[in-house]
Amino acid sequence: MNRFAVLQLSGCAGCEVSLLNAEEWVDRYRLVYMPLVISAHDVPEVDVLLVSGGVRTDEDLYNLRRAVQRARQVVAVGTCAISGGVANLGDRDEVRALFLAQAERRHLPHLLPKVRPVDSVVTVDRYLPGCPPTPELFMAVLFQPPDFKVSKTVCQECGRKKLKDMRPAHLLGFQQGEVLPDICLINQGYLCIGSSTRGGCRAPCTRAGHPCVGCRGPSDAFIEKESSEWFASIQRVFAAMTDVPAEEIEAALRSPQLALFLFQFADYAPPSFPPSGGDEGRATRPKEKVL
Amino acid sequence: MPTLTFPLSRIEGHAQVVIEVQAGEVVSARFQAIEFRGFEHFVQGGPAEQMPVITPRICGVCSTAHHVAAVKALEDAYDVTPPPLALRIRELLLLGQIVQNQATSLFIFTMPDRPGVASIFQVAPFIPTTGGERGRGTSEQDNAGIAMRALQVRKAGTDLITTAGGQFIHPVKAVVGGVTSGIGPEQAAAMRAELAEVLPIACELFDLYWEMSLEMGERIGTWGDDAPACYIAAVADCRPNYYGDVIRVMCPAGVMRARFPARDFRAHLTYQETDYSYAGQTSYGGEVMRANSLARINMARCMGTPRADEYLARFHEAFGQPAHAIMLFDLARGIELVYALERALEILAEPLDHEDTAIPYTPRDGEGYGLVEAPRGPLIHHYRIENGLIARAEFIIPTVHNSLAIERALRVAAERYVTAERVDMELERAVGRVVRAFDPCIACATH
Repeated sequence: MNRFAVLQLSGCAGCEVSLLNAEEWVDRYRLVYMPLVISAHDVPEVDVLLVSGGVRTDEDLYNLRRAVQRARQVVAVGTCAISGGVANLGDRDEVRALFLAQAERRHLPHLLPKVRPVDSVVTVDRYLPGCPPTPELFMAVLFQPPDFKVSKTVCQECGRKKLKDMRPAHLLGFQQGEVLPDICLINQGYLCIGSSTRGGCRAPCTRAGHPCVGCRGPSDAFIEKESSEWFASIQRVFAAMTDVPAEEIEAALRSPQLALFLFQFADYAPPSFPPSGGDEGRATRPKEKVL
Repeated sequence: MPTLTFPLSRIEGHAQVVIEVQAGEVVSARFQAIEFRGFEHFVQGGPAEQMPVITPRICGVCSTAHHVAAVKALEDAYDVTPPPLALRIRELLLLGQIVQNQATSLFIFTMPDRPGVASIFQVAPFIPTTGGERGRGTSEQDNAGIAMRALQVRKAGTDLITTAGGQFIHPVKAVVGGVTSGIGPEQAAAMRAELAEVLPIACELFDLYWEMSLEMGERIGTWGDDAPACYIAAVADCRPNYYGDVIRVMCPAGVMRARFPARDFRAHLTYQETDYSYAGQTSYGGEVMRANSLARINMARCMGTPRADEYLARFHEAFGQPAHAIMLFDLARGIELVYALERALEILAEPLDHEDTAIPYTPRDGEGYGLVEAPRGPLIHHYRIENGLIARAEFIIPTVHNSLAIERALRVAAERYVTAERVDMELERAVGRVVRAFDPCIACATH
């Protein structure tokens, strides 16, 4: 029986909770290490090591480097492990200063100046993005069924109708107003970025009436390109479907305030994009490696 | 004697227990949270309306509680009252959270402690059977069978979260003014069918759990012999609604001592930080208090659903009210699991898409407090909003209310197992049992 382990770095455990929602692995894989579920002190030899969470502390760094030595295949799981995720919002001067101030605490793991993606530290064989990835995607990464193919974008999985004659003049906030059923959220004025976000999640958020915030990261069309191309594509979609002024879209996408989740853009960008926080020369994530 | 460090597993997040021993005397017992991401800091400057999407990421186990607390805090600041149907759907969302969390804590985190094994995948040989013989089976299939049923119960909780909240881990449907959509009759019927199937399985597993707990109590000779404490919860004493109303504090003798709205929490709760943990500690004016399942069950007069009421009566009869032994937190969780399944079945039988689910609102600057009763106790989000952006955010976390109680209970356990001659090997298990009884969430506590 194949053996797998789950190493949780600094994150929310949502990825682990998602994995527990799948049952298919129980009699086909032996789970040998996952502190959330099993009391075991050390990662043993495994076929697959799933790593969730970002590298936030020196202890994360040590545990990660130690664990990968015993794994035949390393999979970075979830937005935090792949791009730093929501904790990456702390990559600002005033928050970094706070982390540095914590360094004086005794007996506690020290905080690194910036939360780092897993592949800035170790070699990653496959990527499973999502916040969190669905149980179905977890099973796909474990069992690698040859016929499994995710949709290109969230848009293709959403099922809402795009209307030609419903063109909003301004953006609504993510939270505002009652959402009309069955009609594209962009038609209704929401900043939905499902058109360039990687599919495979089956669009639970947009189906429920909430705009896609891009947690699965860029689709294959953009993942190997600079993040500006992803931005440009979103702008083209809004230009074609709405009368929202280009500057308003631009401001919404570029502003760290409005585009909190889009923070991951920076860490998806290939090395030609100016590296931040000492991440030197991380390679592009090739689309073949991303589920 | 060296300082004893126990890394913890089968809890949410990264923590360890450090017990200092000198010449057979326990000098200190510390509960250390060893992770930190800085949510209170990095949400500053973010738009207030994004908080219901960002704050669930504080914790993938308690995400639903954060999602609803964030929306309630914004509604408090904007002075918006959502329509009744929206409140119903939010209640359902939080029931899904209770099912998911209590099933995880009972079966995945703490059931293995009963026989003293490493995980749910090893408990089958120790399951009591009706004939009094040990072990339904010892093969891998039998272990998988128990695990599958446990996973099935907790999955029903996440499916309920999906039904009421859209996304299954980090829900999205609660928005300022209401929820984005109702629940149609077909979807409600499918969810009811799943819950109806799971309810007897949950009861059967809980019965086994109860029996295994009695056996464990006999084996180790204690149910957790810590002193009585104050209890804190934000649900009424009958038919608990985890949506939260006012915070209540019960004194150790069982008399209600305080009742206050979320915005007055500073007048009642004292917060302090330590240099050995990334999580703080709260007390009730210096007194040790306990939040979580036992607090609610100690305050409960009735659950209001048939099977949960049977379990509640059995619990009160067996252990008294209020009951103080640490291991009773675990049994209290089982009563709530059954209640949440039954209560969700009731709500799903009501029409849930017959009227408006949201009302319009105008954002404005100001202060807002959002309270929910999370699985671990009262959770408060407090925001100050300036120019539509978060100027200050505070997350008042239930696990932090329990920090002092956890440390006191750890000390009692340590004193039981540390003597001048030796440290009893049971100490390591005792540390795990004590901490897991409180079901702490470290991701939340440090945020």
